[in-house]
Amino acid sequence: MDRRQFFKTTGGITLLASSGMTSLLTDLYAFRGKANLSQVEARYYKELPEREIECLLCPRFCKLGDKERGYCGVRENIGGKYYTLVYGKACSINIDPIEKKPFFHFLPETNALSIATAGCNVNCKFCQNWEISQVRPEQVEHRDFPPNMVVEVAQRYNCPSIAYTYTEPVIFFEYMYDTSKEARKKQVRNTVVTGGHINPEPLQDLIKVVDAIKIDLKGFSEQFYANYVRGELQPVLEAIKIVAKSGIWLEIVYLVIPTLNDSIREIRSVCQWLVKEIGPEVPVHFSRFYPMYLVKNLPPTPVSTLERAHRVALEEGLHYVYIGNVPGHKAESTFCPKCKRIVIKRVGYHIQNVELNRGRCRFCNHPIPGIWS
Amino acid sequence: MKASKVIIVRGRGVLSPGKEVNKKKLLQMYKRGLQVLTEQSDLREGFRVLFHSRDRIGIKINTIAGRKLTSLPEATLGLANLLAENGSQEKNIIIWDRTNRELKDSGYRLNLNGGGVKIFGTDTEGVGYNPALISHLNIGSRFSSIQSQHITTSISFAILKDHGLAGVTAGMKNYFGTIHNPNKYHDFNCNPFVAELFDTELIKNKHRLTILDCLVTQYHRGPSFHTHWAEYYNSLIFSLDPVAADFIGWQIIEKLRAKKGLPSLKEEAREPGYLFTAAKMGLGTANVKKIQIIEEEV
Repeated sequence: MDRRQFFKTTGGITLLASSGMTSLLTDLYAFRGKANLSQVEARYYKELPEREIECLLCPRFCKLGDKERGYCGVRENIGGKYYTLVYGKACSINIDPIEKKPFFHFLPETNALSIATAGCNVNCKFCQNWEISQVRPEQVEHRDFPPNMVVEVAQRYNCPSIAYTYTEPVIFFEYMYDTSKEARKKQVRNTVVTGGHINPEPLQDLIKVVDAIKIDLKGFSEQFYANYVRGELQPVLEAIKIVAKSGIWLEIVYLVIPTLNDSIREIRSVCQWLVKEIGPEVPVHFSRFYPMYLVKNLPPTPVSTLERAHRVALEEGLHYVYIGNVPGHKAESTFCPKCKRIVIKRVGYHIQNVELNRGRCRFCNHPIPGIWS
Repeated sequence: MKASKVIIVRGRGVLSPGKEVNKKKLLQMYKRGLQVLTEQSDLREGFRVLFHSRDRIGIKINTIAGRKLTSLPEATLGLANLLAENGSQEKNIIIWDRTNRELKDSGYRLNLNGGGVKIFGTDTEGVGYNPALISHLNIGSRFSSIQSQHITTSISFAILKDHGLAGVTAGMKNYFGTIHNPNKYHDFNCNPFVAELFDTELIKNKHRLTILDCLVTQYHRGPSFHTHWAEYYNSLIFSLDPVAADFIGWQIIEKLRAKKGLPSLKEEAREPGYLFTAAKMGLGTANVKKIQIIEEEV
């Protein structure tokens, strides 16, 4: 089967690999299974009278009658019990550089086997992946990709980590959790790319089986979250604090959208909060917005705006501040906060040079926080 | 301004527990309702007020709750036959909902390519949701190609139900079944989303008639079926005003709730405020003083 035939057969499932593409695609094709939905009981919910349930996974606390689905569109009350419909049903499978997530202080220059199912528990008007996140699972092509196979593929293609990403991994919690446990047994690490809309109990459980979490802090006002995210800010801040306190690796991304969340005042408030609550060492990425989904009336973020945010963050005391989605910008690189020299030089997702020695700056021996090996 | 007209036709015994639908009575109910609504004793003339003979008419039904609380095939096909006998072409009538599974579970026999009235769901191969995203106010959705392409006019033939989030689900909310992401529009008691979805061109410009199926009405713990909270109300509601029809449906639910000593929807903080939003948007009337209610019995 050649590549063209493969894509035709798989019906448009995203399957891209930065290396070893042909072999990977052949492998995954062999794994191809029925496109039906799963019916695996959800972990966090309570049964209510008259076959109703309340979901306890995320701060929405959806209360649902029989045959109804939650806001995420991937969990359904069936006869008074709550089920995930996407367990082992991956709609997107890629091998990505870990820098694409972005994780800049986590196993640099390695690949992550990246997977997602359909669905999301918010509805960001600027979503970059809305075609898979804002749909129900039966509306996209997906394949059976159970946890043991995910781990096997990660190992076979030299991916030291698995990334749960693209849509919102919280909504495929059970799949992510079981895969993470399997991965740990085989020394494969787990990373989560999330909006942080998750309740403390499931988050505490997740933290026990994963190694790094990147949280998208999408703005810094409840109004912005209500209008543009259809969610709430406070639970996200709580999630950030829980992850930071747990000791697993944390990075923050802030997508800077012209006129919506790009004021100096807001950026400064975010940075002050992070320094105060999390500490200055958490990496923060200010990413460039491109018009997408329901926000097409705004231009891409001017680079000068991102540079201003970068400057403000440094002024507020953050040590590792990056500019994202501007390939070639010098703020893609990691600078030693002590001697100010570049310790990891990046261009786009590629690493040009690493000047670290056992997690320390090779020039001044200053420790650079992260998971480096 | 002329009052919006809402016709409530009652057919005692048209449906009773464990019994077949009385099709003859049901037909009489349709005829009476449509005659009074269109002010035409000749049904063919009455339908001419609403539809062109070449229209492809979609009958959007509601089968989500399963066989016990669904648009019954006998009722839907009865309506389709009436249309076909009075000026529309059978092949141009489509009975539809989101999925074939739900249609089949509700007792429908699918008919995509055969002669006669078409019956199929959006998830039929080759049908699906349009790839283009329609953005309107707070709505951002893909529409079923049945709504956008297959049909030219639409009847919302909805089950009147209590709804845990929206308060009431009826003719307007029935159109949630035309989009790919209805789960995204249940916040804030579905307000303003029900109104804003109806206000999209694909719905507003094609909608001609609301018929609320109140043969069995779930007045509490909806939208799923609970025998204990369901009433054999044995009525159909007809209106050209989508907001007024649902508003009167809401009042019926409140009456049934009060009769059982249940709190009002307002007291349960789930009053269907989307109806007032819809009225403000000019989609219809949500004021009982401006609605002419005509009650009939057959």
